Amino acid sequence: MTAATRIRLTGVGKTFVDARSGARQQVLEDFSLTVEPGELVAVVGASGTGKTTLLHIIAGLVQPDAGEVDVGEPRLGVVFQQPRLLDWLSVRQNVVLALEAAGLDPAAADDALAAVGLADYASSYPTVLSGGQRQRVAVARAFAVEPDLVLLDEPFSALDELTARKLRLLLQELWMQRRRTGLLVTHNPLEAALLADRVIVLTGRPARISASYRVDADRPRSAEDKQLFDLHSHIVAAL
Amino acid sequence: MTATDVHVAQAPPASTPTSPRSPRRLRGLPAAAFLGLLCAGWQIMSVLVDSVLVPGVPAIAAELVEIVVDGSFVEQLGVTVLRVGLGFALAFVVAVGIGIAMGRSEFARRFFEPAVLLGLTIPGLVWALLCVIWFGIDLINPVAAVALSSAPALMLTIYQGTRSVDPDLLEMAHVYRFSRVTRLRRLWLPALAPSLFAGARLGLSLGWKVIVLVEVFGMSSGVGYQLNNAFAAQNVAAVLAWTLLFAIVMAVLEYGVLQALERRAGRWRKAVTV
Ligand SMILES: Nc1ncnc2c1ncn2[C@@H]1O[C@H](COP(=O)(O)OP(=O)(O)OP(=O)(O)O)[C@@H](O)[C@H]1O
Ligand SMILES: [Mg+2]
Repeated sequence: MTAATRIRLTGVGKTFVDARSGARQQVLEDFSLTVEPGELVAVVGASGTGKTTLLHIIAGLVQPDAGEVDVGEPRLGVVFQQPRLLDWLSVRQNVVLALEAAGLDPAAADDALAAVGLADYASSYPTVLSGGQRQRVAVARAFAVEPDLVLLDEPFSALDELTARKLRLLLQELWMQRRRTGLLVTHNPLEAALLADRVIVLTGRPARISASYRVDADRPRSAEDKQLFDLHSHIVAAL
Repeated sequence: MTATDVHVAQAPPASTPTSPRSPRRLRGLPAAAFLGLLCAGWQIMSVLVDSVLVPGVPAIAAELVEIVVDGSFVEQLGVTVLRVGLGFALAFVVAVGIGIAMGRSEFARRFFEPAVLLGLTIPGLVWALLCVIWFGIDLINPVAAVALSSAPALMLTIYQGTRSVDPDLLEMAHVYRFSRVTRLRRLWLPALAPSLFAGARLGLSLGWKVIVLVEVFGMSSGVGYQLNNAFAAQNVAAVLAWTLLFAIVMAVLEYGVLQALERRAGRWRKAVTV
């Protein structure tokens, strides 16, 4: 087994330069964060603070212009803010490609799709699915590859509450099965409290961690839990 | 009953000019009318001019029938199509590689752009002459001429197509560690399909024109060679017959075969519009 994945960002800085206006935006400055192996950290913060940027830096998609990023070489399961499916392949093939690239049995695709309630759509093209259904395919793809590091960018925000609940439960099960390292970006403070081991609140520009909460409740957790609800109120106050 | 009423109302086909069949039948009418008028006009002209240089429609038709029946057309066409096919396939593979590279890397774009722009302006006739001089009667001569004359247009079209490929999907392929082959087969080629087909049309049409020139100058077989023979014998009817047949076959390939392939490649799109 490879060493468990730890995310360690030290003094990371990122400035975007607008190609048209030349305007500079310092999104991150001297930003540090450590996510321990097996820990799931939720990131909440207002729109445009830099949550996606942070996630993309960890995924290796955005190069920071300062600081150090130490993630190792984990197998990634990523749910982007948009589904990012190959529209010319069937729903099943979309999952199968990721499985094959990870050297896993393609047959696992059907189980993964069943888990997100899309067994009936496995042979359809993604173009016939609704926005929420497409996002669920992306979730199935991310979980199917047995990832070491899970990066989720508002994975459930396009879904109705009932479906979102089912998928949150699925995520909890995944974590109970095997502790993975993960980062979950969400706009929903209750979701953050329900799923994460730690919740961090990002504010300002450049973004900094303005509050951090540890969540110790055992899994599976229930959204009705009084303790979680109190925590959620704290997070809302910190936003 | 409503159902019966509807049925009865639709029963006489003549009374429903908007039914989907009639327009389709009518669609071929203008083209047929054009061809009929062309033949009639040609015949009138040939009668008026009354010269061996302008053979009548019956003479051309007789020549057509003869080259088809004695098998020479199919044989020579096969030779020509093979040459075009090899040259085009070579150009296509190279253009996909270079076109994608140009879309992905600024350096590759700056490096290949002059070659592409220069290549686009060089007339097919020049490629034909050069290849005949360099390669003589080897198979490589027509193949190189077709490849050289169609590759620049293909590269440009494919490069322009790469700019419409969704960078989000490339990021997805990156985080899931898709292999190079998977990325090419499952991402680049399908995403580029519209440009590939546009490029293929353009490239093939350039290829047909060049191959005839090469065969006229330097080959001893193929449609171009036959055209040259007919020309040397001052057999204008044969020149016209070969040209007509060749043009028809190429049009069928371009519009029939390519269009069918394109529809197949775009099947997933259909799902949206239905
Ligand atoms: N490629 C880019 N080029 C220029 N600016 C960018 C780029 N990516 C992000 N930004 C800017 O960086 C800032 C942070 O963007 P980011 O997408 O990380 O926000 P976010 O916290 O994920 O917001 P949301 O909750 O709306 O998804 C924004 O102001 C955005 O305009
Ligand atoms: Mg975002």
